[in-house]
Amino acid sequence: MTANSEQSVSGTAGDRGSVSASGSEEATATATAGVDGAAVAAPAAPEDTTDTGAPEHGAGTDATAAETEPDPETAPWSGPAMWVVPALVAVVGAVCVWGAFTIEAPPNATRPGPAAFPGAIGALLLVVAALLTLVNVRNLRSGAGTAGNALAWFEGRPVLIILAGLVVHVAVLEFVGWLLAGALLFWVVAYAFGARAYLRDAVVALSMSAAVQVGFSLGLGLSLPGGFLELVL
Amino acid sequence: MDALPLLLDGLVSALTPQNLVWAFLGVLLGTAVGVLPGLGSAMAVALLLPVTFRLDPTSALILFAGVYYGGMFGGATTSILLNTPGQASSIATTYEGHKMALKGRAAQALGTAVIGSFVASMIGTMVVALFAPVMVSLALNFGPGEYFALTVFSFVAVAAVVSGSVLRGLASLLIGLAIGMVGIDSQSGSARFDFGSSAMLDGIDIVIVTVGLLALGEVMYVAARGRTGADLSAIRTGRAWLSRRDWARSWKPWLRGTALGSAFGPIPGSGAEIPTFLSLGLERKLAERRAKRRGVRNEFGEGAIEGVAGPEAANNSSAAGTMVPLLGLGLPTSATAAIMLAAFQQYGLQPGPVLFERNADLVWTLLASLLIGSVMLLVINLPFAPLWAKLLKLPKPYLYAGITLFSVLAVYAINTSVVHLVMLLCVALLGLAMRTFGVPVAPALIGVVLGPIAETEFRRALAASSGDPTILVGSGISITLYVLVLLAAVIPVIAHLRRRRAERTSAAAVERDTADLG
Repeated sequence: MTANSEQSVSGTAGDRGSVSASGSEEATATATAGVDGAAVAAPAAPEDTTDTGAPEHGAGTDATAAETEPDPETAPWSGPAMWVVPALVAVVGAVCVWGAFTIEAPPNATRPGPAAFPGAIGALLLVVAALLTLVNVRNLRSGAGTAGNALAWFEGRPVLIILAGLVVHVAVLEFVGWLLAGALLFWVVAYAFGARAYLRDAVVALSMSAAVQVGFSLGLGLSLPGGFLELVL
Repeated sequence: MDALPLLLDGLVSALTPQNLVWAFLGVLLGTAVGVLPGLGSAMAVALLLPVTFRLDPTSALILFAGVYYGGMFGGATTSILLNTPGQASSIATTYEGHKMALKGRAAQALGTAVIGSFVASMIGTMVVALFAPVMVSLALNFGPGEYFALTVFSFVAVAAVVSGSVLRGLASLLIGLAIGMVGIDSQSGSARFDFGSSAMLDGIDIVIVTVGLLALGEVMYVAARGRTGADLSAIRTGRAWLSRRDWARSWKPWLRGTALGSAFGPIPGSGAEIPTFLSLGLERKLAERRAKRRGVRNEFGEGAIEGVAGPEAANNSSAAGTMVPLLGLGLPTSATAAIMLAAFQQYGLQPGPVLFERNADLVWTLLASLLIGSVMLLVINLPFAPLWAKLLKLPKPYLYAGITLFSVLAVYAINTSVVHLVMLLCVALLGLAMRTFGVPVAPALIGVVLGPIAETEFRRALAASSGDPTILVGSGISITLYVLVLLAAVIPVIAHLRRRRAERTSAAAVERDTADLG
């Protein structure tokens, strides 16, 4: 009892690095151990995660939030992926600053002109990117960023299948028509989520897509592309 | 006060079978588009506009108002059940609503949302009917400087809602602001960040951002979680009705949410997003205070019913509030109201101060039919709450395939262009990345919605004062707002420091204890 309370107290008291590291480790553990299905569903998360990363920033509800599940919004990033968000923020910031210098303001524009806000926001983005990098470096020093791979739960395959489905849908929509392109999209996404009754899925997909087309054309007068079916029928 | 008899007259003329049918159709359609992700009430009204040209103005406006209210009711459903809000006004509901659903309290969350919406739209409409002139004069006090103060205030209010890392919230807000700058600058007309594409000149539509970040981003995130994700079909729908305790916890947030919505609805540009987030933040703070003073357990972060009741009441009463400037000034304060204004003009009616005199019967019939619409929405939606909750029982592949299909449809329907679908894909990938790395999405949305307003008003204010920055703090309203901003920023820091000091001393005490034991 005493040990437990001491642990949680020291967690909130400041030594964020090591405690948060144990939090992300635990998240990884549950993620990889969750072979037998939904046992690790978030709401069912048991008490054993009480001492997960008590956030340093943010006031108020932290104590209660930390009790339910390892909060993804405060867990530190780890591995090579830890640089993704700082890099993204820096790129957006750089584009904004670049825009601030290249936007052509009409000669009679009132000041502050159209480039003022992009410049300010770009500068702020770069500052935030620098601060995010600083936090990463600090976590690396204290060992929090090197502990395990917190993204082990991420399954790339279904995401790539969905992306491929969307890209194909966008590419063929205006040639093939909504009916077939929509049905294909539905089928591919269902497949990515693990549907394996191919024929039944296809029937459901076609009827969904057809219902949308009929509903929108007749009900709201919105025309969806008919594609080559329009020519054939 | 002669408004009451006029409202009664309006009620009598609204109660014709024909008008009742239109109101019914409107609320039904509104609920439907509110439920579907990306299809907001603004789009439904826009699509209906040409269809209703042959109707008489009263019927058409009753239909539109029904759609508007229905959208506010329906938006909550998918927020709570699927974590994908149907429209921007129900983003705040997702925080606690979806957590309630995951705990098997979906029906209660939907119930408190529906009843809260009903209470708010009844009170909100009555307030509009009785105090419209006063509210119009208040809204007229808002100049560019005050608007800018209001947007700054909203940014801070949103930051207060988003717990977790301040830095990540800030990154998200700034990314949203950056997205909001794409397109033609409204003040000078110069193109910004168009990258040579003509489609980018129109900016990135808010529907694309909402659908991409929330609906499609959620679909991909759930796919990426695979087996480790929450299993929706394992959720028990639970008992259908609110228990006595739920009622006791809901009624105060309903009233507070209604008050916030009524106050912010008439202010142009504030829309429904600001009051919903303010309401969520307020309820969270009050729950913290209750936990501290009386030891009541603070359920925020794990599905607190107050966090659903407040925002849902706020968005409906703000919908009623937008009727004030629309009818009284001819000033639309939300996208839907803007299209309704177009509908007025289509019939040759010019909303404004004279509308109440020249077309009084139309105005009062419209207000009365809003009351009738609210009752209808309650009757339609309350029995459906447990039924909607059953939506979660659909096979997961079909559920998410359906959401994907409607997301693509919603974006394609904006202006039937494939380029917008490509934008949608990019935004959805951004949403997936943000979720994967635990960067909150809501600040980005607020940035996209309010960023352009903040920039326009800031520059308009400075242009009006020919560069003198004192105009930004030139009135009581803006000074009050900035003082609130300062308080909101300073108080958490002080509380944080005090708590840390207290914890340090108690930690030292615990260490002494264990040392004694050992």
